[in-house]
Amino acid sequence: MKPPAAFLLLVLAVSCAQQATTGEDAHVTTVGSIEITARLVDVPGEFVNRPMYDYAFVMKYQVLAVHRGEVPGDTIYIGHYNPLKARERAADARVPEVGGNLRKFRVGDVHRMALEIPIDEHYMGGIINRYFGQEDTGPIYWAVCTNRAELRD
Amino acid sequence: MKSIRVALTTAVALQLLYTVGVCAQPDPRVAGLAREVAGKGWIIYGARGDNGTWDLFVSRPDGSRRRNITNTPEFEEAAPRLSPDSTKLLYRRMAKGAVIDHDKWGFQGRLVLADANGANPVVVGDEGEYPWASWSTEGGRVVCLTKKGIQVVDLDTRQVVGEFKRQGIYQQLFWSPDGQWFCGVANHQGQSWTVVRVSAETGALNAVRQYQNCTPDWHPDSGHIILSSRPSGQPGASGYGYTQLWLVSGDGTDQGLVYGEDGSHVYGGAFSPDGRYVLFTKGPRDGSGAEKDGAPMGVMRAADAPTITGASADLRKEHPDTKDSPVLMLEKGWEPYWTYADIGAAE
Repeated sequence: MKPPAAFLLLVLAVSCAQQATTGEDAHVTTVGSIEITARLVDVPGEFVNRPMYDYAFVMKYQVLAVHRGEVPGDTIYIGHYNPLKARERAADARVPEVGGNLRKFRVGDVHRMALEIPIDEHYMGGIINRYFGQEDTGPIYWAVCTNRAELRD
Repeated sequence: MKSIRVALTTAVALQLLYTVGVCAQPDPRVAGLAREVAGKGWIIYGARGDNGTWDLFVSRPDGSRRRNITNTPEFEEAAPRLSPDSTKLLYRRMAKGAVIDHDKWGFQGRLVLADANGANPVVVGDEGEYPWASWSTEGGRVVCLTKKGIQVVDLDTRQVVGEFKRQGIYQQLFWSPDGQWFCGVANHQGQSWTVVRVSAETGALNAVRQYQNCTPDWHPDSGHIILSSRPSGQPGASGYGYTQLWLVSGDGTDQGLVYGEDGSHVYGGAFSPDGRYVLFTKGPRDGSGAEKDGAPMGVMRAADAPTITGASADLRKEHPDTKDSPVLMLEKGWEPYWTYADIGAAE
């Protein structure tokens, strides 16, 4: 006996809504050594739009919840690979491990992320860090998986 | 009045024809340069073979006696470098159809060691292993650039026999001929694409040139680095600018244009073993053409720097001291290397 199509649609809708709310999925919960939910509080300037050149771009986050690992302090700085690309299309030969469902970085949005630290031990490529000399960033984190999320009351 | 206009138009047309005619004349200085370098060793480089894949080629520095020394239609092969004693060759071999990425090639494919003439190739390691491998100053060793750091690998034992901190270097690592320094492209002070120099003895790092630089290589004196640079503020290409060849002292204090041409991107700078000549590629598209068929290679005298070719109005404004010396252009290639060893003699 087949379930009614309306029921399937309802299940799918609830599933998607839940995923969009928490950002939790099988990928973000298993990769990286740190997992957090954080709000993107600053993108320092425009991303570099040169398709021939890959880079990681450092952004500022306010940590809202730590799900795995340890994160000292409320503010951390995270490098995202080729931030103009949707996360599901960001991986390449140099960085095969990057992923997630986030499509666009917008200040104020909340992300659930799997991270590594420091970035240099997990990524070997160009890094644009516009906080250098401006703010004490501490070690820069490396975003392995970035999902969109929303805050729950 | 009409006759005056006709006369003026005719005069302008004749002047244009004359100018085009003069410009179209082969520069006899180029032929002289070709004769001068023809017997000075060999250049080795990657290029597309008749089989459609990338192979390794040798030719005289004037482009004569060109020969495919690998001819492997089942692979893509590129980035050859001779060992310091000129007895061995290393390069990377990729699967057929793989696109060589101008910035990721050091991660791509497998490392291959061969005799200097390309004979007896031996694959070392698996796909992506020994990233950015280049020769150590000591024979039988390569230096690799990994996330963990700079690693010196003994080719007999395949063991890491030396390690240095990476210090932000992320591609194109090369050890100076005197063994005292590394150079590479690095993240430094918040900026990527900075060419840096690192002391192999103390680990001290200094920026050599900041802002949009890559493909560094050592001058034979180990005191200078040749690199590609796309300076800011260029109006050409809608503000994107064009990539030029620069020579910079290891401490970064002395910087000078070697060669440039508005409308072209110059990459892959390398010196002849005596430092008297410069070898490079020049193409209309950024990235040195690695993803397609490479770019025409060029040869000039080091003493002729700075030299600018073409109209290059913007570049000439910046460098009015250009010597406008001859540049010998050759066939397409990529990452060329110059040796005085007789690697091409056995045909």
